[in-house]
Amino acid sequence: MGTLLQQIINGLSLGSVYALIAVGYSLVYSILLFSNFAHGGFLVIGGYICYGILKTFGTNIWLAGGLSLAGAGIAAVLTERLAYRPIRERTNVTLYLLIASMGMSIVIENIFVIVAGGRFRALPPVIPTAPINFFGFATTSAFDLLSLVSAVVFLGALQLFLLKTRWGLAIRAAAYDLRTAGLMGVNVNRLISIVFFVAGALAAVGGIFLSVRYTLYPQLGAITIKAFVAAVIGGLGSLPGAVVGSLILGLAEMLTAGFISSQMRDLVVFSMLVITLLVKPTGLFGKSVSEKV
Amino acid sequence: MTEVCGEKTVLLEVRDLHVSYGAIKALTGVSLKVCEGEIVCVIGSNGAGKSTLMNAIMAMVRREKGEVILSGKPLEAKSFRVVQQGVSLSPEGRKVFAPLSVLENLRMGAFSRGADKGVEEDLEWVFSLFPRLKERIDQYAGTLSGGEQQMLAIGRALMARPRVLLLDEPSLGLAPIIIKDIFRELRRINNEGVTILLVEQNARQALLLSHRGYVLQTGQIVQEGPSADLLANADIKAAYLGGGHGAGKTTKALS
Repeated sequence: MGTLLQQIINGLSLGSVYALIAVGYSLVYSILLFSNFAHGGFLVIGGYICYGILKTFGTNIWLAGGLSLAGAGIAAVLTERLAYRPIRERTNVTLYLLIASMGMSIVIENIFVIVAGGRFRALPPVIPTAPINFFGFATTSAFDLLSLVSAVVFLGALQLFLLKTRWGLAIRAAAYDLRTAGLMGVNVNRLISIVFFVAGALAAVGGIFLSVRYTLYPQLGAITIKAFVAAVIGGLGSLPGAVVGSLILGLAEMLTAGFISSQMRDLVVFSMLVITLLVKPTGLFGKSVSEKV
Repeated sequence: MTEVCGEKTVLLEVRDLHVSYGAIKALTGVSLKVCEGEIVCVIGSNGAGKSTLMNAIMAMVRREKGEVILSGKPLEAKSFRVVQQGVSLSPEGRKVFAPLSVLENLRMGAFSRGADKGVEEDLEWVFSLFPRLKERIDQYAGTLSGGEQQMLAIGRALMARPRVLLLDEPSLGLAPIIIKDIFRELRRINNEGVTILLVEQNARQALLLSHRGYVLQTGQIVQEGPSADLLANADIKAAYLGGGHGAGKTTKALS
């Protein structure tokens, strides 16, 4: 019973970090309809900025975190401007965007191999990892609770932004029909920049927590593949889907690790992907809108 | 030709507009004028270039040559700027945002106006024009009937407070009785001071509604005049109004 509860908390915590990554990825997908493989790069950029600032300016996590979010957001906007916008302006074929994003992912990873070196780095101990006891039932770490709470706060803020602001409304409209959103007087390029900034900043939050969980290295972005899987399970382009898919994935991983074997984690994850694609390719919340003529 | 507007001022002018899609020329030198307070229609068959004309005015497709002028100022080459300058479009096929509510669709229409206080008043105005929309204010646009979606698309374009309202095939796919309703509302909108330029395949309804008309055929204006004259014109009757033997066949009718 104790182990189960503990693994559920750990699973939700891991899933919530996936959710931060998957939601940004899904947001970009919903607007531009391509899988942005450079998304993992944004997470790595966020992680290294946080690491760099903590090492140079001391241990103020709020400062380091804030700059890390802003930095990764700006990097995401620049990636879009440099690599995707020139393609968008010439063609509607999203396959070219996909290929460009694979290129950008390799570019970002290798920039960090050159600049920061390929070795594993541990973030200074700014995020508490002390064990916390739940009334004697289960033990989990403060870190797990903190990452869960942070994810809830950031995803809640995103939801508020999308539901309550003018640009949030425009993003929801553009997710359905980007061209028509442009007809409403929305500066489409600015909207896309905003979406990339948000996606980059959320990825940075995920990046910081993942760096604490697993240490930081240039290939850390590869973990985004789990967020892709979560987004597919939840339904590509659907934000609630990305969150639910991520939580399912996190739980599945941790329960497998706790009750079967931690080596089986990835097997279970990718089996779930295959099963989703076989049984319900649109995912849990995938949309198939029928058009009225 | 030069004096179509007489005493009134020319509000929107399209000058020698050319548009191509790759090697295919969609518009080859279209010119037309819309006077302040008028309803002007452009009729033409499928593929004549009607939607291209609308999209070119809105800068949704590139204007290869020629320009569009709104009371003396050229319309810019970016769609969002065109909307800010005072032209909005209710697009072909309505294109309402299906997963957004009726109210959210209307608010999207007012996007370019930011936090303008007039938006709330204009919402009431649109609801007075289309009371059905008010009844369905919180419903998803995707659940509306075709006619209601058309009303929403028009209302959404009106929310931009345009100086010229563009309408692309507002009758498309609708039952005749609903078309009548919608066209009656268009007249009312015009009476309240909105200048309208519409393109239509439903030539009879469009000519009955409008003050002046243009006939677009394979990317060129082949005829123009007061709508009453066009309605009475034998060639146009044969080609576009279902009269004579050539109903729907327009290729040679006007050449």
